[in-house]
Amino acid sequence: MSAEFHLRPSGAMRHARDRLILGLCVIAGLVAVLPLAAVLFFLVVEGAKAWTPAFLVTPPGPLTLPGGGAAHAILGTLEMTGLALLISVPVGTAVALYVVEYRAGKLALVVRTAVDLMAGIPSIVIGLFIYALLVLTMGHFSGLAGAVALSLIMLPIIARTSEEMFKIVPRRLREATMALAMPRWRAIASVYVPTVAAGLMTGIVLAVSRAVGETAPLLFTSLGSNFIQPDITQPMSALPLYMFQNALNIGFPAARQRAWAAALTLVVIVLLFNIVGRWLATRASLPAARN
Amino acid sequence: MTVKRGPGVQPTSPAGSIRVRRGGFGDPLLRHAVQLLSLAALGAVVLMLVDTAIRASDLLKHQSLWSFVSGTQWQPSNTLYGALPFIYGTAVTSITALVFAVPLALGAALLINEYLPRRIAGSLAYAIDLLAAIPSVVYGFWGVVALVPFLTVIQKAVAQSPVGALPIFAGPVAGPSYFAAGIILSIMILPIVTAVARDAMSATPRLQREAALALGATRGETIRHVVLPFARGGIFAGIILGLSRAIGETIAVLFVIGNQPQINASIFSPGYTLPSVVASEFAEANQPFHSEALVALGIVLFVLSFGVNLGARLVVQRFEQRAGGADVR
Amino acid sequence: MTALQTDVRVHIATRGEETAAAPGQARHVDGTASGGAAMEVRHLSAWYGAKLAVSDVTFQARQRAITAIIGPSGSGKSTVLRALNRMLEVVPTARITGDVTFHGMDIYARGVDPASVRRSIGMVFQQPNPFPTMSIYDNVAAAPRFNGIVKGRAATDELVEQALRRAALWDEVKDVLGRSGASLSGGQQQRLCIARALAVNPDVILMDEPCSALDPIATLQIEELARELSERYAIVIVTHNMQQAARASDHTIFMSMNEERAGYVVEIGPTSEMFTNPRNKLTEDYITGRFG
Repeated sequence: MSAEFHLRPSGAMRHARDRLILGLCVIAGLVAVLPLAAVLFFLVVEGAKAWTPAFLVTPPGPLTLPGGGAAHAILGTLEMTGLALLISVPVGTAVALYVVEYRAGKLALVVRTAVDLMAGIPSIVIGLFIYALLVLTMGHFSGLAGAVALSLIMLPIIARTSEEMFKIVPRRLREATMALAMPRWRAIASVYVPTVAAGLMTGIVLAVSRAVGETAPLLFTSLGSNFIQPDITQPMSALPLYMFQNALNIGFPAARQRAWAAALTLVVIVLLFNIVGRWLATRASLPAARN
Repeated sequence: MTVKRGPGVQPTSPAGSIRVRRGGFGDPLLRHAVQLLSLAALGAVVLMLVDTAIRASDLLKHQSLWSFVSGTQWQPSNTLYGALPFIYGTAVTSITALVFAVPLALGAALLINEYLPRRIAGSLAYAIDLLAAIPSVVYGFWGVVALVPFLTVIQKAVAQSPVGALPIFAGPVAGPSYFAAGIILSIMILPIVTAVARDAMSATPRLQREAALALGATRGETIRHVVLPFARGGIFAGIILGLSRAIGETIAVLFVIGNQPQINASIFSPGYTLPSVVASEFAEANQPFHSEALVALGIVLFVLSFGVNLGARLVVQRFEQRAGGADVR
Repeated sequence: MTALQTDVRVHIATRGEETAAAPGQARHVDGTASGGAAMEVRHLSAWYGAKLAVSDVTFQARQRAITAIIGPSGSGKSTVLRALNRMLEVVPTARITGDVTFHGMDIYARGVDPASVRRSIGMVFQQPNPFPTMSIYDNVAAAPRFNGIVKGRAATDELVEQALRRAALWDEVKDVLGRSGASLSGGQQQRLCIARALAVNPDVILMDEPCSALDPIATLQIEELARELSERYAIVIVTHNMQQAARASDHTIFMSMNEERAGYVVEIGPTSEMFTNPRNKLTEDYITGRFG
């Protein structure tokens, strides 16, 4: 009688097929992390040989000769990213508010779609756009044009995260502000923004981490420069641009060294921003979950 | 309870009144500011497009649109401008990138979502995501220094093996090639494809999954018959997003593709792509119509990636409708 | 009560409608004796989209009294409550007809700013919803500050203390006013929300099942508080807890619905009478627990 009731095993064939799927997935997972390991390995080994703290504060020298640092590039990156932030944060937040808080109908949808599609424009094309719009108009390359190009890279990221954040403001907080007769701008400024502040910061930090590493949009906008140039209306270097110039000339050992040093600096900065952004993102979901 | 009467709160008046004090000018001010900035963003995009298109249209004084798009020769010194080698190179490198990235991304996504314990899964997902953070100039440099020498060995081995008889795997092998660019691109798009595929897979309703398991399906069968069919649309959207990234990637490709404006059947031969030629020639474009032709290549690139993005949006929308509003972004 | 408005006008409430009243349109109405109607609802019907949710509801909420609205879920209690301070129009598809007057003033009249209505008619929600990023102090002080009710630190301090005292929360939080509102217990959070509503200086307080997320002890505290507050405010409370209505209200409105009929008023009367001697069979069945 017990023969009629038994646990039916999956069978060798099914079992093997299951194992095969798992095996393929494991291989894929391992291969997928291999490049990260390889890139980081080279960066650390080669970068450590080339990098010194002095690299960060030394002005640039001739391309083919040893020595020379990235002080001008770091200054340029700071200035251009800073200006790009000043443009993209207000505009990105405005787009998000326009779409979420002031549901302004069709027009808001058009703006949102345009900003969304902006995210899909290759960054080199953004560089070309700004070249046609600003560089040709002004008659020369400038850090300003570079900053505008970077702001267009950052804008969709900031607009999108802000939009998601304003959307998750809990309904009951919205109702509380209305029941207290708060004007909407007050509700936005003193309730919604603080509630999702970590999320808004996430968008900004991730946008910076993206913009800091961009080379293509700067090629025909800020162009690059071989001196410390604080004037943003003049051609200006940036860390990725500086690295690009040196990396194109790896025939010269000095340029190769500087490329590694710049690569290490750049990746540390970008990863730092990225990790902070992600950490903020995990925090961002907390107030929403709590309420 | 003691109730203190102060000047602040007046107790209920015998009869209330609807106070008509308004929120002041703050609301209209913010609303208009927000609208203005939004429209400015829209206006800027339109302005840029129009301005760039007008500039590129100068090329039409030199040659017809068709001769530009279908031309196979790119010789600025002879004022010959044909875009086909770059369109071809962009297509070949992007497809190569997909061939490698998609299986890896799907396998990694399944491993993370379906098999690994939460902790390890999180770290693996994080590591793959970090690939997206590394700047493309770093990938390019690493590509030249480390990846290309390694790939050269593989390319030579394949070209000399029997499959080398096939035109697409034929020698001679120089090192920089469509193939090398495709591999770099596959690394760069791996995170986006993985992330979108994971989102789509995790949107599988638990009930469906449990139903399959309760019927005695193994985990692999549940994946094949429930998870993958459900996530199909999302996975496809992820692939298209990856494709659009691959099409537009500039700097990393420039380092490893060899920069030859030619059309060659073998993926082991050097070539050029739309974005990389614009990046490397634009600054030194001094021949007649050279810079106009490069801007026109930029427009071709824009149209191409715009089309792909639009396609991705449509797919996502269709998928969202089918999934009953499940968010698969 | 003056100015009876007998015409039934149709008001389409749409989301985001924030029309403002011109300053000259403020209407002040002379007071009435204790126990007069603070709010009057006449022939109120409400729809969500095409679906009728409440049909032809008429009642009064008296000053310095607690009016409870009871009934099974789906009978439209919360809908009626939200119509009283124009919070219903926050729901995208909601639409009402009928009259809602506040001391004789039509709160849906053209040109009346919904914000001004909500300043006079405060609301406490089902789930305690303090602003999580604000301190206890700021939760109470935020709305009066921008509404221009108080200026200056000292006056604000006093207002906050008074509101918290009235909400019976002062003694528990006076030493931790800087802490986040989210750090309090559920019952304390709900009393904080009551204090926050009081600080705007309303005349009527609407409570939408304020105890449904609270434990029995916190529930009793809120009921006791409502009783104290009713000495100076008109309170309308929605509850599906019969004991609560019996314990804590002066007047009860019993609403119900069935397949043929959207939410309607079955019976209205003094609470003591309704619970001891219901006139309607349905009321009797409900309060004795035979349905609902």
